[in-house]
Amino acid sequence: MILPLLFLISLLLLPCTAEANDFSGYAELKGFAYSERYDGEPYGAGSGTLFSKWEHRPGEAQLTASLRAEWLTSPQDQLSFDPADRRLRRSPLSLRDLWVRLPLAPSHDVEFGRFQLGWGQTDGYSPADAFLPRDLTDPFTDEKLPLWALRVSGQEESFRYQAVLAPVTTPWRLPPLGSRYAPIAAGALPQQTVLREREDDPPVPGFIALRLLATRGDWDLGLWMRTGVRPAPLLQFSLDPALQTGPAPIVSVERRYAREQGVGVELSRVAGLYVLRAELAGLLSKDPELGDAVIGTASVERGFGDGKLLVTLAANAIEPPVNQTLLFDRALLPALIAAWNQTEPWGDWKVVSTTGLEHMDGMAKGEVGYNMTDTWKITTGGDLPYGSDNGALGALKKARRIYLALRRSW
Amino acid sequence: MIARFARPLAAAAAALFFFSLCAGTALAAPDARTLLKDSENRHRTKTQQYAGDLTVVNKEGKVRKKGWRSYREGYAGDAKNLIRFTDPPEVKGVGFLSLSRPGSDNPDQWLYLPSMKRERRIAPQDRDASFVGTDFNYEDMEEFDHEKYKVSLIGEETAEGVPCYVIAAIPNDKGTKSVYQKIVLYLRKDILYLVREDLIRKGEKEPAKRMILSDLKNVEGHWVAGRMEMTDLKKGSKTTVNLKQITFNRPHPASRFTLQNLTREGGD
Repeated sequence: MILPLLFLISLLLLPCTAEANDFSGYAELKGFAYSERYDGEPYGAGSGTLFSKWEHRPGEAQLTASLRAEWLTSPQDQLSFDPADRRLRRSPLSLRDLWVRLPLAPSHDVEFGRFQLGWGQTDGYSPADAFLPRDLTDPFTDEKLPLWALRVSGQEESFRYQAVLAPVTTPWRLPPLGSRYAPIAAGALPQQTVLREREDDPPVPGFIALRLLATRGDWDLGLWMRTGVRPAPLLQFSLDPALQTGPAPIVSVERRYAREQGVGVELSRVAGLYVLRAELAGLLSKDPELGDAVIGTASVERGFGDGKLLVTLAANAIEPPVNQTLLFDRALLPALIAAWNQTEPWGDWKVVSTTGLEHMDGMAKGEVGYNMTDTWKITTGGDLPYGSDNGALGALKKARRIYLALRRSW
Repeated sequence: MIARFARPLAAAAAALFFFSLCAGTALAAPDARTLLKDSENRHRTKTQQYAGDLTVVNKEGKVRKKGWRSYREGYAGDAKNLIRFTDPPEVKGVGFLSLSRPGSDNPDQWLYLPSMKRERRIAPQDRDASFVGTDFNYEDMEEFDHEKYKVSLIGEETAEGVPCYVIAAIPNDKGTKSVYQKIVLYLRKDILYLVREDLIRKGEKEPAKRMILSDLKNVEGHWVAGRMEMTDLKKGSKTTVNLKQITFNRPHPASRFTLQNLTREGGD
C-alpha cells in the first residue's frame, strides 16, 4: 500500500504536463478571525491547503486521482494517512479521488474506486444527498466525503439509472466535541467536564442504493432507494468510574451507527423563468434513538440577470426520539434556506440565510470573491450564526467569524 | 449558445443565383429574405465541433480568458448542443447540455457542476444577462433565425474590407422577445457570410454592441470565421473568440448528447 501511495503523492504534488494527462489543482491560504475566544481557543485560526488532481483518458476509459494536503492551526492532528476517511479527526493528507470509469456500452458505465456522489434535486438541503457522509470539522462548509464504491450507471432513451455499492462505511466526521464548532449546551454537563472521544471502528459494511431517473418534457423525475448503515453516528455519553481521577468529571463519548432503509422521490420542472424542485423521502430505522423520518423539501429558483435567487424549505414530518441536533443530517429541520448568488465582471458574491424554524436560530453568510487574474482569487466573507442556543446553528454563536482566503489555481 | 459562433448567419442573394443564370442582364435589388435563406442553405452543416477560447478585455485593460469545447448536431429547432469548459481552473469540467424540443421555443437545458457532482435543469436565461462574464449575452449566443425578424436590404457597402449587403432585421411582433430593437447585418457578397453585426438596443439609436467576424477560412468545404470580436461600445470592453480544431458533418457518438454523458466527469 505504501509504495503506490508514495508514487501517487509524488505524481500529484509534482504536476507536469503530458499528452493525454491533465493536471489541475490549487493552493490556498485562509485565515479566520472569531468574534470571541472559546474555552481557551484563540481569536484567530488559519489553514493552508494544497490540492492536486490528475486525469487521464485512455480511449473511452477515464482515470482520476486527487490528493489534498492541508495544515490547520486547529484542530491539529498528527501527520497520518486515512484513505478510507474513517478516523475521528481529519487527516492532513486526504485522498479525494482514485477511480476508474470504464464503458460497458455507449451510454452505460461502470466506475469503481474512491469518488464523490451527488444525488437529489433541491439545493440547500436534499434528503437524497443528506445521507452521504460529510466532514463537519468546519461545520460552516458543506464538505462531502468521498466513498469507496462501485457505481454502474446508464441511460436508455429518457431513462437513466445509477446503482451504487459502498462496501465500506465512511462515517460523518464531527468537530472535536466541546470545541467552538461543537459546543456542549450550558448546563448540560457540570463545568470543567472533560469529554473523551474514543477512536472507535465504524462498522465495515456500507450501503447499497439505486436511483432511477426519467425526463418527460419539462419534468425531471427520480426515484431512489437505499439500505445499509447510516453514516451519521449516534453519540453515546457514559461516565466510567475508573476514569474519574480528578475533580473534573470525565465523560466518554462513543459513536454508534444504525441501520436504515430509505426511499425517496424527486422532481424538478421549468415553469417560465422559474425552476421548481421537490423531494420527499421516507427513512425507516428500528433503532430507538434514531426512529423514522419523512423528510420533504421544496425549492424555487429564479434567475435575475447575472444573479440567481434560490429558496428552499425543508421539514421532517416525524418528531425524532432524541434531540435532533444529535441527528446531524436532520439537525436543522424544519429549515428555510434562501441564497442569492451574483456574478460580476470582477468576480462574484453571495449571501445565504439559513433559518431553523423550530428554534428560530440561523446563520447569515456573505462572501465576496475577487478574481485578480484567471488563476489568482481572493475571497472574503463571514459566517454569523444567531438565535437560540438550543438550535443547531444558534449553538455556534461563539464561532462567529470572518475569513480571508487567497487561492492560486492551475 | 456558443454553437452560433461557428454557424455563420447567412446571406445572399437570390440575385446571385439569378445572376448565375442571366449574367449581364440588369438585376433587381436582391431580396433580403432570399439572401438570408440562401446564406443559411449554403453554410448550414449537420454537425460541428470545435475548441474555443475567448479573451475578455475590460476598459481598464484587465484580461480574462476562458476555454471550452463545443459539439453540435442538427440546427435551429432541431439542435443538440454540448459545451464543456476547459479553462480557467475554476470552471473546468462545467458542462452545458441543450436539447431542442419540437414545438417549443425553449430548449431543455441542463448544467453539470463538478463541485456538486450532479446535473441541474436550468430555466431559460435572462436574455440580456452576460454569458459567463463576457460581452455576449444569452441572446447573442442563440442562432439567428431570420424567420423571427422583418428583414430588409438597406444598402451595400464595404465592411471589414469586403463588399457587403447591409440588411436590417427588426424583431417580429410574434417573434422572439429580443433585447434589441434592430440588428444590422453585413453579409459578404461573394460567399454570403456574415462579417459584422451592429446591435441596437430598444429605445436607442446608436449600436450598443458590435460583433466582427474575421479570419474566414474554408474548412471541409464550409466557410467559417475563426475569430469573433464583440465590442460593448458603451462599456468599452471587448470579447475575442478564437475557434480551433473545427470540424463539420462528422458523426457524433450516439451517447454524446445525453445526460449520462453530461455527468461523466472528465468526459466530452
